[in-house]
Amino acid sequence: MNQSHLLRKRLLAILAYAVMIIAALIVIYPIYSAVNISLLKDTEVAQYPPRLFPSSLNLANFTRALEQAPLPRYLLNSIIQSLLVMIGQLITASLAAYAFAFLNFKGRNFFFLVFMATMMIPWEATIIPNYLTIKQLGWTDTFQGLAVPFLATGFGTFLLRQFFLKIPRDLYDAAVMDGCSNFRFLTTIVVPLARPALGTLAVYSFLQTYNQYLWPLLITNDESMRTVQIGIALLQDEERLMFNTVLAGVVIILIPTFLLFIFSNRQLIRGLTAGAVKG
Amino acid sequence: MKRSLFALMAVLTVLSMVLAACAPAATQAPASAATQPPAATAVTNPTATIAPPKSADAVKIAFWHSMAGDIGGKAIPTMANEFNASQDKCYVEPIYQGSYDDSLNKLKAGLQSKDTPAVVQLYDIGTRLMVDLKVITPVQDFIDKEGYDLSDLEPNVLAYYTVDGKINSMPFNTSTPMLYYNKDLFKAAGLDPEKPPRTFVEFEEAARALTTKEGDKTTVYGGAFAIYGWFFEQFLAVSGGYYVNNNNGRDGYATEATFNSPEGVAIFDWWKRMVDEGILANYGRKTVDTRNAFIAGQTAMFIDSTAVLRGVMDSVAGKFEVGTAYLPRPNEAAYETAGTIIGGGSLWIINNRPQEEQDCAWEFIKFQASPAQQSYWQTMSGYFPIRKAAYDEQLTKDWVAKYPQFQTAIDQLHIAPNNRVTQGGLIGVFPTARQTIETAIEELLAGKGTSQEILDKAAEAVTQSLSEYYVSMGIQP
Amino acid sequence: MNSPSVDAPLVQSARRRGLSGPQKRQVRTFFLALGYLAPSLIIFLVFIFIPLVRTFWLSSYITDPIGRPAMFVGLMQYKKLFATPVFMNSLMRSLTFVLYTVPTTLLLALILASLANLRLRFISIFRIIFSLSIAVSGATASLMFMYLYHPSIGSINYLLELIGITPIPWLVSESSALPAVSLVSVWLQLGLNTVILLAAMQSIPDELYESAMIDGANGWSRFVHITLPFLSSTFFFLLIVDVLAAFQTFTPIHIMTSGGPLESTNLLVYSIYREFYFNGQYGFAAAQSIMLFLIMLGLTIFQFTVVERKVFYE
Repeated sequence: MNQSHLLRKRLLAILAYAVMIIAALIVIYPIYSAVNISLLKDTEVAQYPPRLFPSSLNLANFTRALEQAPLPRYLLNSIIQSLLVMIGQLITASLAAYAFAFLNFKGRNFFFLVFMATMMIPWEATIIPNYLTIKQLGWTDTFQGLAVPFLATGFGTFLLRQFFLKIPRDLYDAAVMDGCSNFRFLTTIVVPLARPALGTLAVYSFLQTYNQYLWPLLITNDESMRTVQIGIALLQDEERLMFNTVLAGVVIILIPTFLLFIFSNRQLIRGLTAGAVKG
Repeated sequence: MKRSLFALMAVLTVLSMVLAACAPAATQAPASAATQPPAATAVTNPTATIAPPKSADAVKIAFWHSMAGDIGGKAIPTMANEFNASQDKCYVEPIYQGSYDDSLNKLKAGLQSKDTPAVVQLYDIGTRLMVDLKVITPVQDFIDKEGYDLSDLEPNVLAYYTVDGKINSMPFNTSTPMLYYNKDLFKAAGLDPEKPPRTFVEFEEAARALTTKEGDKTTVYGGAFAIYGWFFEQFLAVSGGYYVNNNNGRDGYATEATFNSPEGVAIFDWWKRMVDEGILANYGRKTVDTRNAFIAGQTAMFIDSTAVLRGVMDSVAGKFEVGTAYLPRPNEAAYETAGTIIGGGSLWIINNRPQEEQDCAWEFIKFQASPAQQSYWQTMSGYFPIRKAAYDEQLTKDWVAKYPQFQTAIDQLHIAPNNRVTQGGLIGVFPTARQTIETAIEELLAGKGTSQEILDKAAEAVTQSLSEYYVSMGIQP
Repeated sequence: MNSPSVDAPLVQSARRRGLSGPQKRQVRTFFLALGYLAPSLIIFLVFIFIPLVRTFWLSSYITDPIGRPAMFVGLMQYKKLFATPVFMNSLMRSLTFVLYTVPTTLLLALILASLANLRLRFISIFRIIFSLSIAVSGATASLMFMYLYHPSIGSINYLLELIGITPIPWLVSESSALPAVSLVSVWLQLGLNTVILLAAMQSIPDELYESAMIDGANGWSRFVHITLPFLSSTFFFLLIVDVLAAFQTFTPIHIMTSGGPLESTNLLVYSIYREFYFNGQYGFAAAQSIMLFLIMLGLTIFQFTVVERKVFYE
């Protein structure tokens, strides 16, 4: 009985691994393929059958991508812009989500709808007026211009609200009874408990900002203020579009985001800590 | 959370510092830095950077362009540097502004807030719109003022940008479409690789002969056309057809689309017939997809801009021999009366900039139009030089020797008669019209109606956009 | 006490008005909450709602190609929306796109998250891989897929052929283009969905499972009776977010298909983009944006009133 149980468990584990490996291969294939193409020689990009593996460790495309676009400088700008937005969103969204989750105020549903509504407005409709605003403020070619319009987030507020709502209400009542102020409750109890959600929001807002194209293009003219996605556009030459060079550029700018993601991954999915919540 | 967030920030900050260290110092230093030697960025940053101005008094002008790759990353910065070094009154700073559409939109937004460049590069099909917007100073004004000699410039190219009797913008990157073919496949199919098809019928016959099947599967298509409105415009022009009325909108505002003429219908019929027969492939709208099928040896002939030649040659790299030929015409007689339209882009001077900036813009435009610069430009970009003297420059001679296929492009430009047909349509809603045609071609290939029906519908839509355009612009055509 | 500065003025304002106890508290809480919302509200006001009002205003004009209002037309742009099939067609396509992508994403993310939640060796590697697409931009993914989808040299078709499946014309054919774009969109959203579901799964207290084990519940019934109900608030969140994201999908369309072939991928936001930035029909585009906004708002309110009731939070 015990032995057959063990065997069954093993078989299940093997099955799980098999399914996971297949799923992983499918999910990662587009990324693998980008890396693969970025290593292909010009003559290997368009051929049939397609090359599924690079023939050599050919780094020429990376050199070429770096020659065509000042990617390191752009990367730096993107990282600064994304960090600013990330920190700003974490703060504004935590505050707002706290109000929605814990404070019982008149008009809560209305305000929540207002926050949700911000996710429903096509950017096409707002980008030009926002450009004019930034221009009036004299914020073109500045990090304020790149970051300030994105310092609040309906998505992030909603995400955090969902997590905050899971924190038992008793905890809040007890804290209030103890004379703990709302701000203190937020910073000392709610924020530590909501780590996975905050981590998710941090990664998400960083990457969303990092991936912007039209906004930075619109409000920067100065080469030293431009961001990575403009760099990728700069590699896409209509006349001589070389997928290997474009994808080499893509791989270069993916590295920091992957590092960020892999580094924070443990944080994102570590559960709410035991004790406090269950107590 | 705190700890790991801190660690995360630390990683990103370190990364930022590393990047900061290897990024160049501000690429265009302030004017006061003129005496400073240029930062030694050659090793850490291989991108061509713009050297600081020679003189602190130099008038700074912005040049918005839409050229990516080697052209935007190397050729344009080099040109700007040479211009800046050639004199000390003007200082041009090239700025990449995304695709032509992106750039035009930024310009439109900028016009509302005075955030405009002195020079902007825009696509050919934005010509009428730019003139109608009344935001530009025609280069003709400068030409007249100083009696700039135009005799060496390509007349067909200038004609495209001549609106209401004035040259409005200076041609910059110009190209025409031509036929590319795989000589090895021609030989294998028993065709003479030195006698590429010249007419629609010959093209069809060659495509039939070149198509190879293994069982049900077509391994080689005789030809492939990307669904690109520009190709239709070109086929229409070589057929002697007008895109819009009033002689392509060049003798007065166009009010009606006329591409649903017998010439247009014949092109559609021909295209559709070949796709239905399975001798012409359809790889969708992206020209690069069709190009790649050709490079991979899966299609024996295709149509593309003369500017892609070098890219094709570099990618084919001797796997097979590439031939180039004129864009096929409906018949031999058409070679005498019609021809291809030049495409590409031109440089515009924006009139809300101070006069001194506009003067500098003109200086830069003249500089880039000089034979030496045009020759450099041509060899870097694959576009035509806009003046004939460039062909006498050694650089261009060497280039044509290396890519003899380019001779076809030059000859095609020179054999085209200069008339209202080859000057091409001139309308303010050309980007919309082009997309309408692309959808029409898709309808055609999907069998949604006869060529005539589909073209009539498309023409009606374009006519409608034209009338809306005139209303919104306050123009009485 | 230790209350932040935002708390302070509220007390005063309540005092000034001389309200009764519970009323006072209500007013106080309201202003306290407003203080917490203020940073976000200010940004939203300046960068979202004022532009929205401007858009609404613009929708009653015909504009010149730069976007300056040229002629007041009242509600004409809205009449035009419903008079021509263009708007309804792209709305229907957008709805189809939502149906293609949202359930698929949620289901796949649930499967991936469940797998990644297993306690096995090397599981963290799989966790990273399953959620990796969170780090990829729409533009990047579109470039990758454009190459993979190539009708003749794309490796997807090549691999399909190797296992005996007829190649699919992906982006070239009217019938396969929308599914092809949907696939890219699902792939892009999968990372975020998986991360969020996994985080929620990890926060399910072990005791719940332990007591279920004692009751003799098998794996499946534990999944149905514990995991799924516990995830309901997360699912609700993802449902809303994914629906809104699907409605706003733009980049893959812009890069891969430009709305074609035969308008088959001309989703509503792409059509708005085209009118705004390509056709110069700012007024018409503004009217479409307002309609899209109202549709999404209605849909979200519906989800909140109908679906959220079934969600349980603790």
